Parts: sequence; structure tokens; C-alpha cells
Amino acid sequence: MKKDLKLELVTKESMSAMLIFALLVMATFGLAFGGELPKGMAAAGLLWITFLFAHILGLNRAFFYEKEEGCMEGLLLAPIDRSCIYISKVLSNFIFLSLMEALVIPIFLIFFAGSALSLISWLMLATLVLANLGMSVIGVLLAAISMNTRARDLMLPLLFIPVIVPVLLAAIKSTEIITAGGEAGALFVWLRLLLFYDIIFALVAFLTFEYVVEE
Amino acid sequence: MHSGQRLAPLRLIAFISVLLSLYLVFFYAPIDSYLGPVQKIFYIHFATAIIPYLAFLLVFLASVAYLSTRRRAFDRLAHAAAEVGLLIDTILLVTGTIFGKPTWGVWWVWEPRLTTSLIMWLLYAGYLMLRSMTLDGDKRASLSAVYGIAAFVSVPISFMSIRWWRSVHPLLISPSKINLDPSMWGVALSTLAAFTLLFFYLLLLKMELIAVQDGIDEVKEEMGDLI
Repeated sequence: MKKDLKLELVTKESMSAMLIFALLVMATFGLAFGGELPKGMAAAGLLWITFLFAHILGLNRAFFYEKEEGCMEGLLLAPIDRSCIYISKVLSNFIFLSLMEALVIPIFLIFFAGSALSLISWLMLATLVLANLGMSVIGVLLAAISMNTRARDLMLPLLFIPVIVPVLLAAIKSTEIITAGGEAGALFVWLRLLLFYDIIFALVAFLTFEYVVEE
Repeated sequence: MHSGQRLAPLRLIAFISVLLSLYLVFFYAPIDSYLGPVQKIFYIHFATAIIPYLAFLLVFLASVAYLSTRRRAFDRLAHAAAEVGLLIDTILLVTGTIFGKPTWGVWWVWEPRLTTSLIMWLLYAGYLMLRSMTLDGDKRASLSAVYGIAAFVSVPISFMSIRWWRSVHPLLISPSKINLDPSMWGVALSTLAAFTLLFFYLLLLKMELIAVQDGIDEVKEEMGDLI
């Protein structure tokens, strides 16, 4: 993980690409809606679809250096557990994703402020952390799978988007409730679903990752 | 024995029972008092709604079994179940839209049950895509097994969606009662049985086919070594 973060610090490659891409997606949405601010679930959906697209971009890079430079063999030969590689990949991916969101949310508030002023809150933070975890734990697993295929940057969204739908739905619903200032009870149903999927996805990914990287 | 012959009895039984259930659908089942004859598509829709769950559960179980035993037969089972399951799932979506037009007035509604059904279809379309995009045999088997497990985790949400959220899609079986006329219910169950037999026949046929294909690949590899 240290290596990923250091590399990123030097090149700022993934982060800047993710950020600019997120801005592009938002600008396209602004164009599509023609100046009319989306409300409620539509606004929350916009935000999360922006995150999702930018995240896929980042995930596609997750194993890029390992593949390109043949470092994966080195990592696999190293005297560490396979799950260690997986966990560090998830953590670095989680950090990239969270940083990108921290930068995008203020911009989102400026562009689509009419609908999302209450986005800065503890409950939103909880939603973000839980959803980011879910997207990273299963995203890194699927990135490792698609790395092994022909046309790998094509395969990742094809595999990733349908699998992540429950997490995405729960994140959108809970963001919608937060922006509407709804009751906490309804919110916790969705946060609980997020937590549930995080645990299940983490378990599945943890148990199966070694089969993906084996030679 | 020739592999096609081994499946002959099952093929005959599946063929006869599908014919029989079609007879029941068109000549025995009463005509719906609200919807008229168009309601008969429901029987196909019902049968094809249940079988994909069974098929995708098979993909999941076969994937787990493959990763723990490394026997190629389980990989073939997962592959065949995904492909035949996706075929029947496609029939489900098509009959659903045909049924939706006269009943709801629209072909498609973005409500929980329909949306999650489409996502389930996409999950397994992705699975088959992954298989076709990975060349190496053993690598392909373990990669697709991992995806077969991860994909199935998302399936329960499709099944539960109808119970969690209000939906325009009717709920047939609720804990308290079955919302269907008894004579219609009998026809629906016999259609389901017939289609299940058909599913297993197609499943076994596909597994034979994949085994033959694997054999051909092996021979080709050997030939390549000789040249």
C-alpha cells in the first residue's frame, strides 16, 4: 500500500484523472438537464453515478503497474500472505476514492446547490465511508479478475456495475434522505444494508482473492 | 455409448411434458375474466421466472465446488447453468414486456422488480462475457468461479425487492395465501414442471457440448506440439 500511495504522490496520475473525469461527468449532467436543478433522488443519483464512473477509472489503474512492469510475480513471490496484497490494494483504493469525493462534493454543492446543501454532515460521512468500503472491497477483486482478460478496461465496468448495484442503491437512497432532512429511522435501514453488503462482499473477496492471483 | 443417446429418454420426457403443459395452457385453463386470452402468456412468464433463480444458484454452488475440488466437471456445470439460465431469463424479460403492454398499458416500468431482474440478467451476461474474454482453461475456470460467487451475492436483492418496496408487479405467493385461482395455479405448476425438465435437458446437453469442445481443444494442442 505504501508503494501505491508513494507512486501516486509522485505522479498524481490516477487522482487527477479521476477528478477531471468526475468534473466532466458533472458538466455533462449539467448540460443534459439544461440548467434545471435535479431534485431529491435524481440529485443523489447524479452524485453517486459521478463517483461510480470516476471510481471505475481509478480501479482500471489499480493493477496497471503490476501488469505492465511484471511486478505481480514479484509481489506473489514475496514472503507475505496473498490477503496482504488484497487488503493493501483495497486500502489504497479506498483512500483514492475518498479523496476524490472530498474534492468533488464541494464542487457538486456549487453546481447543484439548490438540492444538496445538507450534504456536509456526520450521517453523510457514514454513508460515504460505508459505500466506499463496499465499492473498494468488491472493486479490487473484480479489477484483479478483469486484469487477466483480453480487453480488460472493457470488462471491468461490465462486471463491476451490476454487482455493485445494491451498494449504489443504498448509498443513493440514504443520500436522498439526508438531503431531504428525513427521519433517522428510514436512514438506518439503508445504512444497515450498506454495512451488510460490506461484510458479505469483504468475506467473499477475502476468501476468493487468492484464486484470482494464482498462477 | 454415444452421449446424445444417454440424454434421449430425458429429451422425450421433456418434449412430451412441454406439449402437455401447452395443451393445458390453451385448452384447459380458464380465460381470465379481466385480461382475456392474453393472460395465457402468464404461465410461460411464471415458469421462466422461477428457473433462472435455480440456474444461478447452480452457478454459485458449482463455482464453490470448483474452487474447492478443482474438478473441471464443476466448471462445465457452472458454464452450462449460466448459459441456459440466461436463455430462460431472456424469455422471462421478453414475455414480461409482452404481458406488460396489455395489462399496464406500457412495455416497461422502472420499478424494483423489473429493474433488479434486468440487473440480474446483466450480471450473468457479464459472467458469460468474462468466460469468452479469458483464453486459458484453468485460469478461466477459477476466474469465472470467483465471479460466479460474487455475482450471486447480488441476486437475493432481486428476490427480496418485491417484498421490501411497494411495487406495481403483483405478488403471487404471500405468507397468508396464494393470489391465484386454483385451476390456474395447477396449470402454472405443471408448466413450471415441464420447463424445469426442459431446463435440465438443455443443461446436460450443454455440458456434453462443452466437454466435447474441451476435448477438441486438447487434441488441437497436442497436434500443435507435433507440428
